[in-house]
Amino acid sequence: MDGTTIAILGFAALFVLLFIRMPVGTSMLLVGAVGIYMIRPQASLPVVAGEIFGEASNYPLTILPLFILMGNLAGVSGMSRDLYDAAHSWIGHLRGGLASATIVGCAGFSALSGSSLAAALTMGRVSLPEMQRFKYDNGLSTGAIAAGGTLGILIPPSAGFVVYAILTEESIGRLFMAGVLPGLMLTGLFILTIWLLVLRDPSKAPSSVDAEPLGDRLAKLGRASWIVGIIVLTIGGIYTGVFSAVEAAGIGAALAFVVTVIRGKASWANLKEVTLSTLKSTGTVFLILFGAFVFKTFVGFTGVTVSLTNWVDAQGFTAMQVVIAILVAFIVLGTFLEGFAILVLTIPLVQPILMALGVDLIWFGVLMVIVLEMALISPPVGINVFVVKGIAPNVPLNTIFRGIWPFWFAMLAAVILVLTFPNIALLLPNTMFG
Amino acid sequence: MSQTPAALARAERGLGVIAGLLAAAGGLALFVLAIVTVVSVFWRYVLRDPIFGIEDVSTMAMTVLVAGAVAYGATQGSHVSVNVIKMFAGRPTTRLTDVLARILGIGICAFATYGLFTKGSCGLPCGAITSNLGISHVPFYYVLGTAMGFYTALLFVHLLIGLAHWAGEDPNEAID
Repeated sequence: MDGTTIAILGFAALFVLLFIRMPVGTSMLLVGAVGIYMIRPQASLPVVAGEIFGEASNYPLTILPLFILMGNLAGVSGMSRDLYDAAHSWIGHLRGGLASATIVGCAGFSALSGSSLAAALTMGRVSLPEMQRFKYDNGLSTGAIAAGGTLGILIPPSAGFVVYAILTEESIGRLFMAGVLPGLMLTGLFILTIWLLVLRDPSKAPSSVDAEPLGDRLAKLGRASWIVGIIVLTIGGIYTGVFSAVEAAGIGAALAFVVTVIRGKASWANLKEVTLSTLKSTGTVFLILFGAFVFKTFVGFTGVTVSLTNWVDAQGFTAMQVVIAILVAFIVLGTFLEGFAILVLTIPLVQPILMALGVDLIWFGVLMVIVLEMALISPPVGINVFVVKGIAPNVPLNTIFRGIWPFWFAMLAAVILVLTFPNIALLLPNTMFG
Repeated sequence: MSQTPAALARAERGLGVIAGLLAAAGGLALFVLAIVTVVSVFWRYVLRDPIFGIEDVSTMAMTVLVAGAVAYGATQGSHVSVNVIKMFAGRPTTRLTDVLARILGIGICAFATYGLFTKGSCGLPCGAITSNLGISHVPFYYVLGTAMGFYTALLFVHLLIGLAHWAGEDPNEAID
């Protein structure tokens, strides 16, 4: 059997295994190990053991548990609540303002945590009761939380960018910087979406809170200055080159811990919860990474990427055509595959093609992460939707999905904008790194 | 609803205790990692005297953290699977596919465990030491091997529990 046939069989087997609910990580590990065995039997065992150890001891990946820890500490210390309160006091009185405050809160929390689920869960718990109290449309409120949460993997620090960087061997710092402007742009697009929805149908946000006095607003902003300070220090530290991304993660986690202690929230119960939650999220990502790297090695052994690259070259497709085709494929995959799974499954296949066409992998990384965000809220398996459903058990799933569509189109608009104007993604990293 | 046989329930509880120990080691490693990173930054930027080889300590701490995380995550059902099959098939089908998925999972996790212990045992002759401080990789391979072995055992117990609940709902059914 030739390499291409083995690769096709491997991908088919992988989809079957995913379909029967085998975890993504172990599915990739299995297909990768068996595939390598079929090509070079003696290499299978050392590759599996070597890749598991290699990823578990990969220094740049220390960033993941540290940023996850920072986000969890922000949750228990009440810093994430401060952020929402500040956004609420400044824009909550505007029409649709509570939903917009949720988006701003999610964006801010995303700058402390690389996880979309954490962002949706943390901000959802705080903002949903408030929106329900003011009779916001269930679709709008849950849609805003689910969509706002997706900003977690675009605004740095982002677990999505870290995994992409490790898989493509790109710079984590560059990718983090590349995510800043698109993240802010998408935040703006989400707020614009809310504004348009409420303008078209005011019953979606029938009432609003009274505008708070300036003194109260400033006080709440002051209380949020802890979290803002940590964000500025970590992201600013990476941007100015003072810290590496790993160092920024360590400093951020330490500062979040200091704030937790100062606020008297460093109880045994809280620290245990934070640690176990960090372990859970870290375990999720690393098992997938183990599988992804064994699978990537298998794909490399088959030589299918060379055949694919040659085929694309022979067709005479332009880089833009190929990028658009890949993104469309990702959007389709996103309707039934989890975002991380798409990332680790497809990167080994598409990276050589993109490199041969001279596509900037930082720019593509940003586009890919936005598309993965779309996957997080796409029916029927959008994982953020299920997180929101957990917070809002009385809201039917259909209502949540209906509420999500306007935000999904806002993301599509963001993809088109970044495709058309690559500098939205590349300006900051190019300014910083040259 | 059918009851989990006492022996299997005991086995699951026992694995829960082991997961707790691995999580404790992982949690400790997490704080070591955070402290080491902060100390490293302080020495590098404030004292302008980088600590030689501190990355080696970070990476080895991370292997323990990852081992604890993978094992503990397994007991919490946090290893992501795609639950599309539920849209096409009911419990009579998923109980069969779950058995298959678990058997395959046991196979690959056992293979990975064997690989980690075999490759890990090679040690110094294979150059398995950190690049700066020369810390041996052997114990860290074993820690990861233990985590994968734990996952193998957990899948095996879940397989048996799933079979015991063949006629009813599986308490460990995979979710998104």
